[in-house]
Amino acid sequence: MSALDRAAGRNRWIDRLGWAALTLAAVVMVLPLLWTVGLSLKANGELLRDTASVFRMPYTLENYGSILARPAVFRWLANSLVVSLCTTAGVLVLSSLAGYGFARLEFPGRKWLFALVLFGLAVPEQSVIITRHQLFSALHLHNTYPGLVLPGLAAPFGVFLMTQYFKAIPAELDEAAMLDGASRRQVFWKVLLPLTLPAQATLGIFTFLSSWNDYWWPLISATRSEMFTLTVGVASSQINFAQTSGLGFLMAQAVFASAPILVVYVFFQKYIVRAVSGAAVR
Amino acid sequence: MACVRLDHLSKSFGSAAVLDNIRLDIAPGEFIAFLGPSGCGKSTLLRMIAGLETVETGQIHIGERRVDPLPPGDRGVAMVFQHYALYPHMTIFENMAFGLRNAKVPKAEIEARVAEAARILEIERLLQSKPGQLSGGQRQRVAIGRAIVKKPDLFLFDEPLSNLDAALRMRTRLELAQLRRRVQATMILVTHDQVEAMTLADRIVVMSERRIQQVGTPMEIYARPANRFVATFVGSPPMSFLDVTLDAGAGGLARATLPGGASFNTDVPLAVLPTSPTWRLGLRAEGVKVVAPGSGLINAQVEFVERLGDRTLVYLRLADGSAITAEDAGTSRAAMGDRVGLTLDGAVHLFDAEDRAHYGPAPAEGQP
Amino acid sequence: MTAASPRKSRWTNGLFVGPYLLVYLALLLYPLLAGVWLSLHKADLFGGEAFVGIENFSRLLRDTVFLQAVRNTFLFVLLTVPPLAVIALGLAIALNRPTRAAAVFRGVFFSSSVLSVTIVTLIWRLVLIPDGGLIANLLHAVGQPPLPLLSHPNLVLPAIALTTVWWCLGLPMMLYLAALQQVPAELYEAAALDRAGPWKTLTRITLPSIRRTIVLVVIIQCVLQFQLFGQAQLLTQGGPNGASRPIVLFIYEVGFRRWDIGYAAAASEILFGLILVATILQYVTTRDKAASR
Repeated sequence: MSALDRAAGRNRWIDRLGWAALTLAAVVMVLPLLWTVGLSLKANGELLRDTASVFRMPYTLENYGSILARPAVFRWLANSLVVSLCTTAGVLVLSSLAGYGFARLEFPGRKWLFALVLFGLAVPEQSVIITRHQLFSALHLHNTYPGLVLPGLAAPFGVFLMTQYFKAIPAELDEAAMLDGASRRQVFWKVLLPLTLPAQATLGIFTFLSSWNDYWWPLISATRSEMFTLTVGVASSQINFAQTSGLGFLMAQAVFASAPILVVYVFFQKYIVRAVSGAAVR
Repeated sequence: MACVRLDHLSKSFGSAAVLDNIRLDIAPGEFIAFLGPSGCGKSTLLRMIAGLETVETGQIHIGERRVDPLPPGDRGVAMVFQHYALYPHMTIFENMAFGLRNAKVPKAEIEARVAEAARILEIERLLQSKPGQLSGGQRQRVAIGRAIVKKPDLFLFDEPLSNLDAALRMRTRLELAQLRRRVQATMILVTHDQVEAMTLADRIVVMSERRIQQVGTPMEIYARPANRFVATFVGSPPMSFLDVTLDAGAGGLARATLPGGASFNTDVPLAVLPTSPTWRLGLRAEGVKVVAPGSGLINAQVEFVERLGDRTLVYLRLADGSAITAEDAGTSRAAMGDRVGLTLDGAVHLFDAEDRAHYGPAPAEGQP
Repeated sequence: MTAASPRKSRWTNGLFVGPYLLVYLALLLYPLLAGVWLSLHKADLFGGEAFVGIENFSRLLRDTVFLQAVRNTFLFVLLTVPPLAVIALGLAIALNRPTRAAAVFRGVFFSSSVLSVTIVTLIWRLVLIPDGGLIANLLHAVGQPPLPLLSHPNLVLPAIALTTVWWCLGLPMMLYLAALQQVPAELYEAAALDRAGPWKTLTRITLPSIRRTIVLVVIIQCVLQFQLFGQAQLLTQGGPNGASRPIVLFIYEVGFRRWDIGYAAAASEILFGLILVATILQYVTTRDKAASR
């Protein structure tokens, strides 16, 4: 009994040490974010003299006011929304159809085509970007919404995920529905598709996040400021760091630009976690 | 009501044949069990009747209609799946109503039929639940309910009890037997459990190796198995086999001589037996009794004793090394290592070198 | 009307996968193959194209700028992958419990992962710059001079690596957590009955049980970090003197600033080759996992 007590005591100490280390790590994690928020709340002139003034009053919202005065940021925000929502919708439709086809239907070349799609998982975007850029130039798709949306639809991950998900639904359910007189279309719409809703949510959030955060393609494809997504727009004002209108303003922009995605994160945390861990179990 | 006729059905998956020239007639209202080990093709046969597998050669008729070209929903059959296959996202009511809606049954009638089925199966309180909230036994009832509401001509059950625990299985078995009396329809049950087949079915179709081995009433199958496979598969404990030689005994009946030299008269006339290089004698445990050493037909050594309460199974070995199982009273004194005597009586099964069984004239009630 | 068995092979069933395949072939497979073709050409934006065989590749292997980029990329992978794999593992083990506090911590450590690279670099620029950055301020508080984190050739990659570790910690942590949830509780109960202490439990039960996930995390992170681009492009533009230029930035500069697209395509084929090796490793690892179950 005393040995158990000692072991329990030792465990308690390890626990406390662990929590202390965790808290420290969390502080390191959060510190840059707090620093950013702090800077965004300071007058630019004051920061120019000393950034340590962050730790002192006064604070101001004038930097956020300046954002409101610049319509370009809202244009970028709208572009990001349009592109991300269209990409998400497109990926969900294409992946659901293809996933059902690969998992449930038999057609000539099915295995071969699925292997081809799997191969796509190994292709990094960088190795196709130059020729894809040429292709979109030839089709006059640069600086258009389709030009920003289409590449996102080619990613094989969604098809892979939905195929796995459809395969995991017992075939008995399709058969029961067929015996219940349902047509192939009804089986898909009324039985299988409702059952994939969790996967749809996971894939949807995942696609939305990566589309929203995509930097590479919009950087190359959207060269006119009015077609920038938020990610590229924020980058453009960053590259002109030297001539920029001030640290505080820049930081307010960072906070403003990360707000939508952090809101999405807080609301859909469950699905985001499932999306990343789902990618692991594959 | 339907009579089902399976006409020369064959089926293969790729190069592997799974069913070979199946012929079977099922009478209206009959309860048939397809019994066999896994991989014998019984489930495939059921799924072909349901329309879930295509028919390669042969035809299937249900009633007057040839159904093998029809989609599953148009065949007038209902199926209870092994894993129930309830739609997880629908309530129990919707699960049962789904097929009726697809068949464009009027709303009021759907409600009436579901309510009636729910009443019979005592699942009225569950109608608004989802399948995930139900116990295994309740899901089983819903699956049966979903079949009942369609008022099908033919019920198909694919191993419906295999996912239930022992107590629940026994209860559901009784309920299936009652259901059968209440619902006037033809039923086919696929099972690998001989007790299910024996207790539920009017006739059992024993299958093995892609073929029907024997069709008969439960007692015909048990008392007069057509071959060594059926004899081994049906009956617990399995039948024991001894090599014997046959010659003419009293009254023209065949006399069997055991390896140790002991011999006895069978009830099979030697004249009905074909010539065969070897013969095996098949004995059910209840036909072998344990007596004092030396006072039986042969002596044997007890290897293992299994006490079941009401009776005792005694596993023995003869001097020549062959194994035999005997049944003794629940109070049996037999213990491991004992030397005992054995008497043989009751039904005798003789198997020729091709493992076909041969019997004397059938008892009065009729041919299998 | 015949029995509509989905098992029956029909080409019309292929219509379901058709729309995706069309996009896939046009926007992924075609550019990939065209890229291989292009890499064998001397080509520019204005349509001039001449077949040069493997000239682009041999030029790359002599190009000191490219070789420096390759070296930088490997160094960067070495600087980021081990800390990511180890810190994330520690966090996952500490946070693999069903309490509210653990959930909050998990949320905190994952939160940075949802930010875009532009926001991350914006935040970290103001952490790293010697002139009034957060680190400079902290150093000042303990009486130290500021470090030229973004302008010294030996400090710039570690600084970008630090930024990257901060940004990417969430994903491996979640992968580990998912794996830890799969470890049967009976194993821990058995270990407790065998009086195994916390250290023994960790080294003898936990780590061996998630061995494959550890390998998987390392490979996934290698693949991701090989593709370093935004952090370097936005924080340093590859400087000073190319000390922080990774392969992808090289491709970007050659392809989209100098428009020497055949040469850029050749560089991207080399990157593809490197990543393909890692992906094949990943495939082999996960397949073993499936086989041993």
